Amino acid sequence: MNSAAGSISQPSRAVTASARLVLLLLRARAVLVLVLLIVLFSALAPEFFTANNLSILTKHVAITALLAVGMTFVVLTGGIDLSVGSIAGLSGIAAGYLLTQGIAFGGVAHYPPVAIVVLLSICVCLVVGGLNGWLVTRAGVAPFIATLGTLYIARGTALLISNGKTFPDLGDTAGRGGTGFSAFGQRFVLHIPTPVWMMMAVFAIAWILAAKTPFGRHVYAIGGNERAARLAGIRVGQVTLLTYLFSSACAGLVGLIIASQLEAAHPATGESFELNAIAAVVLGGTSLMGGRGSITGSLIGAFVIGVLAVGMVMLGISEFWQMVIKGVVIVLAVAVDQLQARLQSRLLPFLAQSDQGAGR
Amino acid sequence: MKRSLAFVGCAMLGATLCACAGCHRADHRARLIAIIVPSEDNPYFKAEADAAAARAQSLGYRVRVDAHDDDAYRQDNLVDAAFASNAAAIILDNAGSEASIAAVRRATRAGIAVFLIDREIDATGIAKAQIISDNDQGARLVAAAFARAMGAKGDYAELLGRESDTNAQIRTHGFHAVLDQFPHLKLVAAQSANWSQQEAFQKTETMLEARADIAGIIAGNDTMALGAAAAVKSAGRTHIVITGFDGSPDAINAIHRGELQATALQPAVLISRLAVDEADHYLKTGSTGEPEKQIIPCDLVTKNNADDYQNFEKIR
Repeated sequence: MNSAAGSISQPSRAVTASARLVLLLLRARAVLVLVLLIVLFSALAPEFFTANNLSILTKHVAITALLAVGMTFVVLTGGIDLSVGSIAGLSGIAAGYLLTQGIAFGGVAHYPPVAIVVLLSICVCLVVGGLNGWLVTRAGVAPFIATLGTLYIARGTALLISNGKTFPDLGDTAGRGGTGFSAFGQRFVLHIPTPVWMMMAVFAIAWILAAKTPFGRHVYAIGGNERAARLAGIRVGQVTLLTYLFSSACAGLVGLIIASQLEAAHPATGESFELNAIAAVVLGGTSLMGGRGSITGSLIGAFVIGVLAVGMVMLGISEFWQMVIKGVVIVLAVAVDQLQARLQSRLLPFLAQSDQGAGR
Repeated sequence: MKRSLAFVGCAMLGATLCACAGCHRADHRARLIAIIVPSEDNPYFKAEADAAAARAQSLGYRVRVDAHDDDAYRQDNLVDAAFASNAAAIILDNAGSEASIAAVRRATRAGIAVFLIDREIDATGIAKAQIISDNDQGARLVAAAFARAMGAKGDYAELLGRESDTNAQIRTHGFHAVLDQFPHLKLVAAQSANWSQQEAFQKTETMLEARADIAGIIAGNDTMALGAAAAVKSAGRTHIVITGFDGSPDAINAIHRGELQATALQPAVLISRLAVDEADHYLKTGSTGEPEKQIIPCDLVTKNNADDYQNFEKIR
């Protein structure tokens, strides 16, 4: 008893150091898991750690990462966006429609250039994102329910536009005056696939927004305590609306990338993508309660999910086991998140003595 | 702390080296054939995948089986993974006749031979082979058996597959090519049940409620036929002729019990074996020795010959 009390009042350097290490490891757990997975898969599958596969892997990760990074702001405000998968499907269908049917104008179909198609498709997604934001901020619908509703609305709209069918031959638009929609998601720039460039660009924008702008601080403030944020003069409704718009734009980008890669738009594209995105956000350490988390975390979370998926396919693990393992990883990540929060408060006395602290 | 980190680093390195020592002999491994099917929890696709895997292994290949869940994007990722694993060939039951073209083309350009089974794509000259069962011929066989069992007269209902699916259209077309020639057979209800047993159950219950005079139900696949049979049973109706399509083990058992009258068996196992054999031939000689499109006829299964079939294969 006496010695325990002594160690609290005067922690030895070793105790402080190990307490810090434990916290450091816990905080960097997503990175550790990622490194561990890469080492494991490289060891087990000789083809895993090759430039070729890593390029393919990053291209796959880009899809989840774009959705996850886009959704992070929503989750940071304490909301959730279940509609991103459907929005991705809708944007692909919108692009497919514009590329194959054109815009009827004066009885003649005009085929807009690819850049316009991309912009219009993103605009369609922004409408859905705006609806999400409106429902949450003005109509007072809980984010889970509001976006569950738009999940069905967007998917149904995509099916209605295409009548359940696939828009084929999107790559080959020369006959219709278009120029190479397939390049959008398939081309390589400096040996890096275009989706990866888009992921990096969106990540950079989101990171700057979160860390360097009032918008980012407001998002954290709303998630931390919405009432306090409102009293502090933050325009809660406006900021929240913007987070849903950002999420839907990212989802729209994903739909366009997929339509371009497949050179076809299928209305069912993106089913259950929202779950992968939420998993990536949570793996990255963002709290579903809002107020705590980071953009970088979501990117790493997306990489964990992507590496896990590609690695398990390369190892030839049965699909059923793949699902179990993915579920275990997600649940463990959240459990460790709780552990971190508890340990952090318990270890605080040990760290308070040290000059630097570990609060950051 | 530094020492601990160094220790963790060493442990990781050690683990890597140990694991690598284990897989070193893998450098001279057999060539890989990737088998990609729609799902592994459906008996038809499972039989198809298992047959292809068994044949490829017996020919000395490594195999990997993956499922794309009818999601063209997931299929795209699996094709990428096959490419990254240096697969020599892909046996593919694709995720959509139009949405799969880009993936097949990309694999072919990367030097992987793609062999399509069970479903075609809307393009030729890309895949090395497209081996499918003859849905039209199978549908005509079943329809003829249906008409015989109905005594060439009476009201009947039809359960269609998913409307966007080519096979659903080919089958209903084949059914009507035969049934419409009988003037006393009358179609009184036609509904899509999206290939689903549960949906077929509900639709059949409603149809039986609305039209008590229905004497037969012709279904676009076995799961819908089984759903219809369950609905007929729960409605307490007897002597309703029900036929399916696919030749699933469940349907064949139901034929034994007299709940279904007939089904067309798609030779999934045969098709898988043909595809692997042609892949093997292609990898060894540079040609499959066969035309790209190969259409394999279906077999009619009734109570008389139900013992001859098992798990999508003729065993006698």
